[in-house]
Amino acid sequence: MTRYNYRKIDRFVILSSFLAISLISCQKQPVTSFGSSYVQNNNNAKVAVADTFGVNMSTVYLDSIATAGTGTMMIGRYTDPAFGTIMSRSFLQIGPPSTLPVISSFAGYDSIALIMRTNKGFYYGDTTIPQTFNVYRLPYYYQLPYQQSTFFSNSSFPFDNSNPLGSQTTTIFPNASYTTQLAGDSVKIKLSDVLGRDLYNKVYNNSDTVRNATNFYYWFGGLCISPSDASKGDIYGFKDSVIMRVYYHEPGVVLTNKFIDFEIANGALQFNNITHDKTASPWNKLVLPTQNPQTPPLTPSSATGGAAYLQPATGLQVKLTFPTLRNLILRPDYLSVIRATLTVRPAQGAYSTIYKLPTTLGLYSTDQNNLAQFPLSGPSGALTGDLFIDYLYGATTAYNYDITSYVQQQIALNTVNQNGLILNIPSGGNTNFARAVLADNTAPVAQRVSLKIYYVSLFLFP
Amino acid sequence: MKQMNRTTLLICLFSISSIRLLAQGNNSPYSILGIGDLEDNYYNRTSGLSNTGIAYRSGRFLIANNPASYSALDNQFFAVEMGLRGSIVNYYGQPVSTVDHQSGDITFRRLAIGIKATKHWGTSAGLVPFSTQNYEFNSPAYIESTLNEIANSYYQGHGGINKVYWSNSYEFFKHLSLGVEASYLFGSLSQKEILQNTNTTTLASTTREIQLSNLYMNYGLQYFGKVGKKWSYTVGATFANQSDLYAVSNIQVLGPDSNVLRSQELSQNYFTLPNTYGVGISVSKDQKYTFLADYKHASFSDQHYNTPNYSLVNSDKVSVGFELSKNQTFYNTKIERSYWQFGAYYGSTYLDVAGQQIMDKGVTAGFGINSLKSPLAYSIVLQYGIKGTQVNQLVEQRYFNVTFSINYRDLWYTKGRKYD
Repeated sequence: MTRYNYRKIDRFVILSSFLAISLISCQKQPVTSFGSSYVQNNNNAKVAVADTFGVNMSTVYLDSIATAGTGTMMIGRYTDPAFGTIMSRSFLQIGPPSTLPVISSFAGYDSIALIMRTNKGFYYGDTTIPQTFNVYRLPYYYQLPYQQSTFFSNSSFPFDNSNPLGSQTTTIFPNASYTTQLAGDSVKIKLSDVLGRDLYNKVYNNSDTVRNATNFYYWFGGLCISPSDASKGDIYGFKDSVIMRVYYHEPGVVLTNKFIDFEIANGALQFNNITHDKTASPWNKLVLPTQNPQTPPLTPSSATGGAAYLQPATGLQVKLTFPTLRNLILRPDYLSVIRATLTVRPAQGAYSTIYKLPTTLGLYSTDQNNLAQFPLSGPSGALTGDLFIDYLYGATTAYNYDITSYVQQQIALNTVNQNGLILNIPSGGNTNFARAVLADNTAPVAQRVSLKIYYVSLFLFP
Repeated sequence: MKQMNRTTLLICLFSISSIRLLAQGNNSPYSILGIGDLEDNYYNRTSGLSNTGIAYRSGRFLIANNPASYSALDNQFFAVEMGLRGSIVNYYGQPVSTVDHQSGDITFRRLAIGIKATKHWGTSAGLVPFSTQNYEFNSPAYIESTLNEIANSYYQGHGGINKVYWSNSYEFFKHLSLGVEASYLFGSLSQKEILQNTNTTTLASTTREIQLSNLYMNYGLQYFGKVGKKWSYTVGATFANQSDLYAVSNIQVLGPDSNVLRSQELSQNYFTLPNTYGVGISVSKDQKYTFLADYKHASFSDQHYNTPNYSLVNSDKVSVGFELSKNQTFYNTKIERSYWQFGAYYGSTYLDVAGQQIMDKGVTAGFGINSLKSPLAYSIVLQYGIKGTQVNQLVEQRYFNVTFSINYRDLWYTKGRKYD
């Protein structure tokens, strides 16, 4: 009996002990904030931020950009207080109808017009000012020059600009797809009846000129649609589905109005010729290319009033270099880069609701040739700047980039990379006239370009 | 075979206790300071007396309160003791969440073995915590060099210093016992700070691992005797002289991807444990009623450790206890069957925080049974105490502890006789 009890108690105690020990980890903890006063200056690793890195800014001037076959004709002229007068006109080719109508001998010619439909969202400048569009006929059929694959913004062909085929002044409300001509989103330009009768007769006579496309191209030449010299309001985008329409009528029991459409041909050869006033600021301060081809020259921001100019449509891009970036690793407390943010700020007062900033600005790697190469990406894709516009005060308007990966790569290099980064509109820059005047690091602190690097900092004291 | 099983189980317990001694326990906000919370509980026979035992002598139990006590152990016996503590703490004060303000844990606190080596020489060895550190909290902080960018610092500290000791005491002239406890303090304090984004993404973490160790000596004295046939008394004293606790610190900094940015051993340092002494008295009547009182003092002020936020100051503690034993006489020998204990304590810790010395006070009550049918004795002790204050944005901890102690005793030297 004694032995039995002894073992029973023994087991109970030992098992209870094991159970208690196994419960040791079953615990919860209170939430307190006590202690913060006693861990200050504890020499642990901190996250420090350094924002005194020099960011050198330059304007890159490309003599031209490819503008052919974009699907959008950019036509107009405006005067920008920061970029001077910018003008864009469109060159295109017209083809004959694929099927010629049979016109009776009782029919009669009425008129001819060029019809262009606005491309919604493509415009830049003050849209309240009427714009006059002139239509010129090119004297000959144009083709790509030898060894050239496309047309550029500086491409152009001569024509008699004293004798337009037609002209039309209208005010376009691009967001409403409406014009003062009350023809929906279309601008209709009445052309010369001489041309109209000629085309009508060729169709009536079933002429070889309108039956064979090549013959027509060589006979007709092409068109240039250009703003008038007096127009200074806006540049509008039009769909390249432009139509030259010949109106005529067929008598019968009732009079029937008919038309013959001559549509755009060789759309890939439609291009926009963009020009600017090189005698005005900032162009007269920029280092311009002296030969072709040539590496796009850089103009430091110090030569252009402490700012760099960006307007891809006119060939202006901005290059950023970080010559003191690797000084970070010389800091005694530096351990590792956690985050790097680049903030690019427009110069105060250099943008408005009329002269808009690009909604997106990408960052691209580059080299000594100053050409944009590969876009920098972040966790959610290519960096586009996340533009925030402070229209009220302007103080917080900025493009912000997380360039952590780029900075970590540059820090790991043995030498300072002088190639830097290019700022450019990610896509459609050849039909987008949005522009920016970007403040360099001589601007007041809150208004300048800045590179902020968050790094793990550790000061070890004995 | 039975003996073998018991031995195996004891070894298992010892192994587990060694591991669990280091386990994380209740959050103790003040343990961020100094070397953590200094352990002042013994988890032994004196627990129900509020650990009042500098003048306590026992033939069965291992009284680590005074190394001079082991000479009182019964001849030819050895004893093994272990102590478990379950604790529930409620936290009060401005820094404490109104929702999550309680914690609870169960921890292994003690393992000791003692032997009466000769007629006058008692010896004991054991493993106990010396100090423990366990805290965690969040603190917002500005990113360096900014005025408006907020990060979060999560602080976490755990670990502690353990004490493995060997005590010897010798009885002289039938009334005097002298003892010395030679111990080795060892352990590590792990202090971690994790810097986080506002979305709790880790930016960097710093872990400081401080290894502490050194020898530590504690001396004891007990003088005991009888007054008449019914009354007996004991007076005791302990003293530990100043000792440096050597510290080797390692720092490791990890980046956001847990990549090691820096791992380095820092220069060696030390923390000085000050002179401490204690005196106590116990008076017993008929081996049934026992009154005890202790006073302890530690001279931390001598270290002149002062920071703008806190300083180390002298700590003092007074405790009293009363014990009621139920005895049974076998063959002219009184054997204790069970006992009741009550105690109270009031003391100041070695921390002066925000102009307030952290006080610790409480009461205890215990009950123990010494089994006659087995070599085991058990005790359970309830303790309620209050530590700290709510003034000056400090934290008050109201704790309720349940201590469970087991004593195993058996013959170790039989002179040829065998017992079942």
